[in-house]
Amino acid sequence: MSGYSRRDFLRTCGGTGLAVAAASSPVEARTPPKVPADAVGMLYDTTLCIGCKACVAACTEANDLVPDTALSGGLWQTPTALNSQTKNIIKLYQGETDWSFVKQQCMHCLDPACVSGCPFQALTKGDKGIVAWNPKQCIGCRYCEVVCPFKIPKFEWEKFNPKIVKCQMCDHRLDEFSQPACTQVCPTGAVTFGQRRMLLNEAKNRIAKNPGTYHEERVYGEKDGGGTQVLYLSHVPFGAIGLPKLSDKSLPSYGSKVHRMMTWFMVLPIMLYVFFVTLVRKNWREHDEEAMQAETEQGLRDQL
Amino acid sequence: MSRSRPYDVHEMRPGRVNIWQRGVPVWEAPIFTPTFVLLLLFIAIGTVLAGMRFMGGLGPFVGSTDEYAWGVWKTFNVMALTALGSGAMAIGIAAWVFHKKELHSIMRAALVTSFLFYFTGLVGLITDVGRPWNMWNALLPWKWNTESALWEVTIAMPIYCLIFLAFENSPLIVERIWFTGNKKQRDRIRKWRPRMRSIYPFMIAGAFVVPIGHQSSLGGLLVLAGDKVHPLWQSPVLPLLYLFQAAICGVAFVIVCVMASCLVWRRPLDMKVIGSLAKLLSGLILFWLVFRFADLIIRGQLGQAFELDAVSIAFLIENLLVLIPALVLLKPRLRETPRVAFTMALLACVGGLLYRFLPTTVTYSPGVEYIYFPSVAELLITAGLMSMAGAAYILAVKLFAVLPAPLRSWYAMMDHAKHERDSERKADA
Repeated sequence: MSGYSRRDFLRTCGGTGLAVAAASSPVEARTPPKVPADAVGMLYDTTLCIGCKACVAACTEANDLVPDTALSGGLWQTPTALNSQTKNIIKLYQGETDWSFVKQQCMHCLDPACVSGCPFQALTKGDKGIVAWNPKQCIGCRYCEVVCPFKIPKFEWEKFNPKIVKCQMCDHRLDEFSQPACTQVCPTGAVTFGQRRMLLNEAKNRIAKNPGTYHEERVYGEKDGGGTQVLYLSHVPFGAIGLPKLSDKSLPSYGSKVHRMMTWFMVLPIMLYVFFVTLVRKNWREHDEEAMQAETEQGLRDQL
Repeated sequence: MSRSRPYDVHEMRPGRVNIWQRGVPVWEAPIFTPTFVLLLLFIAIGTVLAGMRFMGGLGPFVGSTDEYAWGVWKTFNVMALTALGSGAMAIGIAAWVFHKKELHSIMRAALVTSFLFYFTGLVGLITDVGRPWNMWNALLPWKWNTESALWEVTIAMPIYCLIFLAFENSPLIVERIWFTGNKKQRDRIRKWRPRMRSIYPFMIAGAFVVPIGHQSSLGGLLVLAGDKVHPLWQSPVLPLLYLFQAAICGVAFVIVCVMASCLVWRRPLDMKVIGSLAKLLSGLILFWLVFRFADLIIRGQLGQAFELDAVSIAFLIENLLVLIPALVLLKPRLRETPRVAFTMALLACVGGLLYRFLPTTVTYSPGVEYIYFPSVAELLITAGLMSMAGAAYILAVKLFAVLPAPLRSWYAMMDHAKHERDSERKADA
């Protein structure tokens, strides 16, 4: 037997390297998400919110949630953060010189990381661009919690058949009431509901009419994280009210591209497979011959 | 006829070079040892706790919260330990694709350990998910989200473990039946053997493609988590880093596992094979480190690595744990010294596990005060899963021809079996 020369080794090596690199190298980012034509949204303005929490109570009622009364010992609904009983919350930010209320709920991203990461399409971006959860397809893996940059999805840790709890923009009552419970009850118009493009125009009008009022003179969510359907105007820094600094590219636009590429009609795995099969079969034939020879000489069967 | 000794005592001196020619069961050792019983005890505790976990919610059993949504069952049992179980992929590619013939003798050990790590990982995954009864969605392709890295892991891990690794491990069982079974069973094996062998190369190639996919997807899982993963680890090339790191961990673990087994069950070592694996390990680590630091420099994060705060120290320790073995194992004299090869491979295993575990848990910061620490029940279930792998490994090496040995060990075993049969016949008569 001639053995395996250095050149053979390098050839095999280069081939495998190329195939592996091709199989998992990053590819061009997919085209940025378009805003769905019928995308609805909410606009929240910190300068108008009086912190009455009517929206919190209304959300609980509209979504049949059990009020979180843990902090008050069962007296009042007093959630301290979004949790599996709370899809919407008003929080207070107190800085040294400034302060602000802030409303938190799902941002309904234009290109949501949770939808991109969900293995079996339990989270989908459906009608009107609302990110909704489907109990029949959720396996409870909680990857949505890991990837959401706004930390919105919550898991029912205590339940036998746990649900993922997050704002779905009251999609179950939009037909009847034409808007979510929180915007319906808001007494000052701090949070309003409508078509996303209308809300974006409205927000830009407010910035133009009140120069110097709003932080960075811009709308949070227009482009942040690839754009969200819930938009924020704030008179304090966005970071202070819990809105993270995100790039204009959505997380899935680069975070999932390897897998989009790898599973693109399975072309790369198949190429890799063909490559491996060719070499393995060649080496297998040699192995087989030697094994059969040894079997006749020693009387010992080949071990695989 | 005098019964021949299993092997000569003088040939068992440590450091002596021997040749591994054939897998031979550890037939001379009893199965129920104190260690084995202890492992069974851990399995029992883990099983009871896992059963209790399915009576209600996950909440009371885990230290996870909405911020740290993934606990050790996913971050350690699945994401870290399957890297140790990548030996079958890494050594398999070296043996079958690059035609490193001497590595065939160690393939069986690699295949068995890989199967066990993946299998316990799967059990951990099922214990971890909140709604496992919806797992049937995995069987319906129109419900798949093919762009999700987690989808790839969820689909490919069971396929790899239960189809490819199970198939590649089947010769162990067939071989045992061949030697212990009756004529009918032998006839059946004779009939099926050529068919099995004819599809074998196609299965081997598949068993390389599938783990290449999902080991890189494990890195892809973290990419989507964005800023929550510390920039020293977070990188767009994380899938590639994870893939090559799986090869490192796999090779290092097979060295550790086989050497430890040879020590425990007094098998002679073949330092040629170990040395060849150690050389492969060293090369893989050096390539990986260059790749990793090039990525850090390109992303402009290298400064963070030397700030000497807690995160940077963890990062440096983790890198030293693989760098030292890589440098030490470069020297042929050192890598063919059993003690050195073993210690260095062990360091590489620990470093590899840290690389897999740190970014998902320790340096994962969802921006809250709370710091995840696994609950006692969570740790006991993890210990149960690892004991399951350990006990199954002990059973496998004692019942099947997994561990490599010189040819004379095989003949010794056959002589012994013949002797037993003869004395049985005498007793009957």
